Amino acid sequence: MTLTIVKNATCTFCGCVCDDIELHADEIRIVETKRACSLGESWFKNHTAEHLYPDALIDGHPATVDDAVEAAADYLLNANMPLVYGMSNITCEAQREAVALAELIGGVVDSHTSL
Amino acid sequence: MTCTLGEVKNRADFMIYWGGNPAECHPRHFTKYSLTQKGKFTPNGRKDRTMVLVDIRETPSAKAADVFLQIRPGKDFELIGILRALIKNQRVNEAMVAETGLPLSKLEELVAMMKAARFGVIFFGMGLSMTRGKHMNSAGVLMLAAEMNAFTKFVAMPMRGHGNVTGADVVMRYTTGYPFGVNLCRGYPRFNPGEFSTVDLLVRGDNDACLVLGADPGATMPQPAIDHLARIPTITLDPKVTHTSRLSRVHITTAATGISAPGTAYRMDEIPLPLRPALKSPYPTDEEVVRRIREAVARRPAWLPERNGEMVV
Amino acid sequence: MGFVGLLGCVMLRITGGKVYDPANNINGTIQDVCMDNGRIVADVQGGRTINATGMVVFPGGVDIHTHVAGAALNFARAMTPENQRAAAKFMHTKTTRAGIGGPTPTTFATGYLYAGMGYTTVVEAAVPVLSAKHTHEELRDTPIVDKACCLLMANNEIVMDLLEKGETERAKDVVAWLIWAAKVYGVKAVNPGGVTAWKWGKDAKQVHEPVHGYNKVTPGKIIAELAKIVDELGLPHPMHLHCNNLGAPGNVATTLETMKVLEGNRAHMAHLQFHAYGGDDWHTFRSEATQIADYFNKHKNLTCDAGAVLFGNAVTITADGPWQHLLYQLTGRKWGNLDVENETGCGIVPYTYKGSNLVNAVQWAVGLELLLLIDDPWRVFLTTDHPNGACFWRYPEIIHLLMNADARKERVKKLPAKALSRIVLADLDRQYSLYEIAIITSAGPARALGLTQKGHLSVGADADIAIYNQNPDGEHMFRYPRYVIKAGEIVVEEGDIKNVRDGHEFIVKPQYDPKIEDFLKPVFQQQYTMSFENYPVELERVHGLQQVKIS
Ligand code: SF4
Ligand SMILES: [Zn+2]
Repeated sequence: MTLTIVKNATCTFCGCVCDDIELHADEIRIVETKRACSLGESWFKNHTAEHLYPDALIDGHPATVDDAVEAAADYLLNANMPLVYGMSNITCEAQREAVALAELIGGVVDSHTSL
Repeated sequence: MTCTLGEVKNRADFMIYWGGNPAECHPRHFTKYSLTQKGKFTPNGRKDRTMVLVDIRETPSAKAADVFLQIRPGKDFELIGILRALIKNQRVNEAMVAETGLPLSKLEELVAMMKAARFGVIFFGMGLSMTRGKHMNSAGVLMLAAEMNAFTKFVAMPMRGHGNVTGADVVMRYTTGYPFGVNLCRGYPRFNPGEFSTVDLLVRGDNDACLVLGADPGATMPQPAIDHLARIPTITLDPKVTHTSRLSRVHITTAATGISAPGTAYRMDEIPLPLRPALKSPYPTDEEVVRRIREAVARRPAWLPERNGEMVV
Repeated sequence: MGFVGLLGCVMLRITGGKVYDPANNINGTIQDVCMDNGRIVADVQGGRTINATGMVVFPGGVDIHTHVAGAALNFARAMTPENQRAAAKFMHTKTTRAGIGGPTPTTFATGYLYAGMGYTTVVEAAVPVLSAKHTHEELRDTPIVDKACCLLMANNEIVMDLLEKGETERAKDVVAWLIWAAKVYGVKAVNPGGVTAWKWGKDAKQVHEPVHGYNKVTPGKIIAELAKIVDELGLPHPMHLHCNNLGAPGNVATTLETMKVLEGNRAHMAHLQFHAYGGDDWHTFRSEATQIADYFNKHKNLTCDAGAVLFGNAVTITADGPWQHLLYQLTGRKWGNLDVENETGCGIVPYTYKGSNLVNAVQWAVGLELLLLIDDPWRVFLTTDHPNGACFWRYPEIIHLLMNADARKERVKKLPAKALSRIVLADLDRQYSLYEIAIITSAGPARALGLTQKGHLSVGADADIAIYNQNPDGEHMFRYPRYVIKAGEIVVEEGDIKNVRDGHEFIVKPQYDPKIEDFLKPVFQQQYTMSFENYPVELERVHGLQQVKIS
């Protein structure tokens, strides 16, 4: 397996958002996390490139992403007051999409901050 | 009265960590940004700095502190008020001081240290901002730092928690004008913390569908909120099948932020940083899935705010 | 959705309108304007025709100095939920995104508000390198208008340290490298040296005294060197300067001193209104617009924008930390301050200009006085330093006052009696013509910015056009354009946003020695807290990017 080295990688586990991490990864997992603290290290090593989970679940049953997207769209559009919640472990690009979606479905959008 | 972390690194000779346990929750905060880091005007690192820790219990962070002040739980607001009075040489109520669990002499020492600083900083953590009177406490600390500028340079900064919560704040602010809890039901942004905050909404049972992104409320929220999430159609996007996924009608697995998903995350001081994923995920990113849901919604007959019969001009 | 406007190759003809195109000396002539594929063309066959009989045709407005995107503004949005609640609401529709107006509008609303007023290009005047990625993200979601950014430079410690050591050549390479790293268009100097001093709680008030922490570097030296660097790099826009001592009584001396330092170089003096005061303190505060205008009229190397004040709510938000602290002490209002490592800082104080307040009355007069006393409209432009002096969407109120001496004099009568001896506005009879309004709102700023395809209607220019119903009430006329055309497409019709498309962002790439990175990297690692490699803005982050050639 080829080993990839990514320099100046960014850890998003805590609010420090350290961007000086050197990651060593084979195709499946990250094997080394230079300069990361122990929390960062376990965050990086806790996620792999394996297909460990079904792509999607509808009512607990495996489904395609396409079907899950359509089901999600139906539920959200049919609701009177849908909520879009969380946002802390996703990228800003995803957050930006989330606000646009909340607007389109006429919902509430909220993050962990309000907890 | 705040700054980016590099200002702390380069200039701060005095720091208060209030209501947080950085040694365990933000492990590299001391070494990368603040206490032990060597900066332009703090060439000797730790030796050039004094650190005070204010907390309700002695955490491992206390070992790093020069002074540890153990405050009685829930007395932060009182202590902020006392310090604000002391810096202005105003008399303080001794009974009130006694309630904080700290002797007046200690507090006077603290104020003397604050005033003697060249550049002081207060980092306030969850313990301060998330407990009783949280908004009042944060506002109070910011006022204290602002008022200290009559004597010397002083700033205050929240120690924000998980991942990219700062980014969420930033993005919501420029798109909607408000940092969190934004209600778009009437077709324009409304903000009313308490009314439109997630836990309040869910506990009251106001929502009739929920999209959960990068969070696991099923594991962390109060039970009545979780019960409501299980009752309504909940949709969860997460790199793993979580507690929340299990109570959801729809779960979609996504790539992990910064590990296999590219993009941007904000540091607690609102500095944007690019993500450099080291792995290729078999799953789509959150960004892609949310966009696809948005496009799927857009293909359906549109919801327009007029539907609620409340046009606003 | 507000994300992508579909680009069509639409042909369009405007016929019957009185055209004001000062760059081509066209002063109200009735003639056709044709466009195709986003550009002005000599003629079109077919396509839509707008009958503009009884209307006036202007090149789209260009705002040379405003604050509409970035960390500081976004900080202000968080500070003022009460403003947001009171502000105009923007509804989600099939074409537009939801948003909020007011003094610190949301990004989408900003685009709609500017376009709705006939403005099609705006310059965000204060961008730190460290958070430039954020500014570009906000600009991406600022629809319709084209954008450009000025980079905050006069308190950059790496540059200042080099000036201290006399290494001006290297400083030039660093400046050029930073411009490209931030993906910006121009260079802005704010309170040179004063923001750095503020990081120790000090200010830099004397043009020729060393900045706190330095021996040789004075504000004057920073100003002179940066102006020279910008000229030598051949940037299309000269150094954009916010002088020291903003807002302070008696700062006219500083401003005159500064303008002397600039002799021999080009410079753009930002929001000159805030720098034209006499008096020794707030009690003796008075206008020195005459003195400033006299000097300015004789020195053709300079351009300026007004930074005019209107009575009402504003949010003062500048990279001038010390001034903001002073304002906070004066008003007792909320104060936000944000210092940005090694580069700059900013302060934010919500503020209300009151007609009954002597100081505010003088400030209001000074902005108009400068616009009336500076004789060459090609060198003074309409701004309010939004949201500092007033909100940009109130420009039509100023236009009305410029065009109508009677209305102005009526308003002067309502000022506090004490103010009248401190200003000269009541004695000024000049009235702006439509031609001159087209210069100060479009042709002039476009030329000063070096944006050759903006501010005029020559063949090949960007087809950005505002069409107004002619009306003796300038305020009404300019508040509600009949049509606004952006890149050849009708985006606003009778006040409604009809069509949303994304604008461009202009950037430049000045020349530098690539080896400068070998010098920068170690210094950076010592002074900053992020990785050097993560510091520059990636090209993909600038949406609608258009690189402007350097001469
Ligand atoms: S490496 Fe450690 S301190 Fe840095 S962001 Fe990750 S978890 Fe936080
Ligand atoms: Zn400005």
